[in-house]
Amino acid sequence: MKTLKGLLRGEFQRLIKYNIIQVSFGVSVLWLLILFLVGKEEAGVFLPLVVFMDLTMMSVLLMGVSLFYERQENTLKTLMVTPAPMWGIAVSKIIASIYLAFQSVVVVVGVAYFAFDIAFRLLPFLAFVLIIALAHGILGFVLSLFSKDFNGLLALIMAYMIVFAFPSIFYALGLMSESIEPLLLLSPTHVSLLMINYGFDQSIETFELIYGMLYLIIASLVLWKYLILPLYPIKGVKE
Amino acid sequence: MSKKVFEVKDLSFTYQKHGIKAVNAISFDIVEGEIFGLLGPSGAGKSTTQKILTRLLKNYQGNIQYMGKDFSQYGNDFYEDIGVGFELPVHFSKLSGMENMRFFQNLYESKADIEALMKRVGLFEDKDRLVGEYSKGMKMRLNFVRAMLNNPKFLFLDEVTNGLDPKNAKIIKDLIREFKEGGGTVLLSTHLMNDVEELCDRVAFISKGEIREIATPKALKMKYGKRELRVEYKDQEQVKLEVFDLDTISKNDTFLTLVKNNAIQTMHSGETTMDDIFIRVTGDTFHEDA
Ligand SMILES: Nc1ncnc2c1ncn2[C@@H]1O[C@H](COP(=O)(O)OP(=O)(O)OP(=O)(O)O)[C@@H](O)[C@H]1O
Ligand SMILES: [Mg+2]
Repeated sequence: MKTLKGLLRGEFQRLIKYNIIQVSFGVSVLWLLILFLVGKEEAGVFLPLVVFMDLTMMSVLLMGVSLFYERQENTLKTLMVTPAPMWGIAVSKIIASIYLAFQSVVVVVGVAYFAFDIAFRLLPFLAFVLIIALAHGILGFVLSLFSKDFNGLLALIMAYMIVFAFPSIFYALGLMSESIEPLLLLSPTHVSLLMINYGFDQSIETFELIYGMLYLIIASLVLWKYLILPLYPIKGVKE
Repeated sequence: MSKKVFEVKDLSFTYQKHGIKAVNAISFDIVEGEIFGLLGPSGAGKSTTQKILTRLLKNYQGNIQYMGKDFSQYGNDFYEDIGVGFELPVHFSKLSGMENMRFFQNLYESKADIEALMKRVGLFEDKDRLVGEYSKGMKMRLNFVRAMLNNPKFLFLDEVTNGLDPKNAKIIKDLIREFKEGGGTVLLSTHLMNDVEELCDRVAFISKGEIREIATPKALKMKYGKRELRVEYKDQEQVKLEVFDLDTISKNDTFLTLVKNNAIQTMHSGETTMDDIFIRVTGDTFHEDA
């Protein structure tokens, strides 16, 4: 437990020293800028999409950056000869990633709430943010483990976004026919969007919400157990 | 007879990637309180052996016992006992030296006095500078401090004097000696005969993944050193060189008159170089490409 506290403290110290928190905050400000540009009427439509992009793409990306530095400096090797357990090292990374997601959502939604007076369901919203950030932090972890360098990671993220996120966005903007909705439910990003929309007071079927939560949680656990735990000690170090 | 800290039997390791057999059926013991040297040329398998014994490499063949128990019976608590100085130092470059040390120390139960260590290795002045701005020698010294953060009982040191100037190399060597005097045990790999002579109680010669010889440095020198004396002397404003056999030198009249009548410039007994010993132990030539 003490070790975990030490790991977490180090992880947050690095978020600051490696400018990751600052970048994340900068992106939040950018999102807000976009919202103010589209104006009061449209902001209500765009806000869920902004939160969606932030929780999915940014979570994956920032986790990738953190792991990229770790691999570049080969610091995991040093951690591996301390009593810190492998799972603890990974957990503290994921917690830091979830923190970043919350920071961004609080900034963006907080400002938008007062500026545009937006309706949302606070408790479900927070619970969904947690689950979505968890799933995408873990996804970012896995994608990083499977990419050789940062460019490789960007390519993987782009591929992932094109396959999973863009159809949801097009669908949300009414650019796709209703009939593909069942197919979209196979996409973790799409169920994330449904959950976020529910958080913003839209009506979503209860079964879709429950299915979405279960999907993300189970997918997270599977990736954690079968990819992160066994592969992190091997792929996380150079040589 | 002292207690065996490590008992290694028939240890082999093959890197999956290229199928390179880096370590081939080596066996040795490390006894409590000694400095055990692993000496060998580049690519011999020294670092691989260190990585196996620090459990960074897992899929080895053979048997390793630590403190009388099989390696597999230890969890992460094993790391409370040991300190590891890597061949290439690894730290967070955007954190200061002190921030790095504090972070790593927080992961241990037992804590050494960081400031005292930083002072000893001459890094105290620079403790608040980013490690990314440290010179290579400064990083090596910080690497040593990191290995000592938890008051380890056992130190793994992989070429820790690499890249250090003589003054700093001496500081590190003194610290290693003090560690031993305080009851610690050390596994030290190097390709510097000097390090071995100054520090090691016993040394294993390793070449192409195999141990060729285990002995005390003195025994090695006796066995492989040239028993000769090279004398440079002045003879009518000219410097001349003469080589004498050490075993018969006391009865050698040429030597005795030379010492009596000429100004001696230098005198050296047969230095045993790494090259010499290596050629003799293994029949290999020694390539120092580090
Ligand atoms: N990660 C790796 N993957 C594949 N082969 C490796 C790896 N690390 C080392 N080797 C190979 O294993 C052999 C032993 O390497 P090792 O690093 O143990 O040598 P060493 O004695 O420490 O050499 P040096 O004095 O240069 O540090 C070499 O042939 C090397 O090429
Ligand atoms: Mg080496």
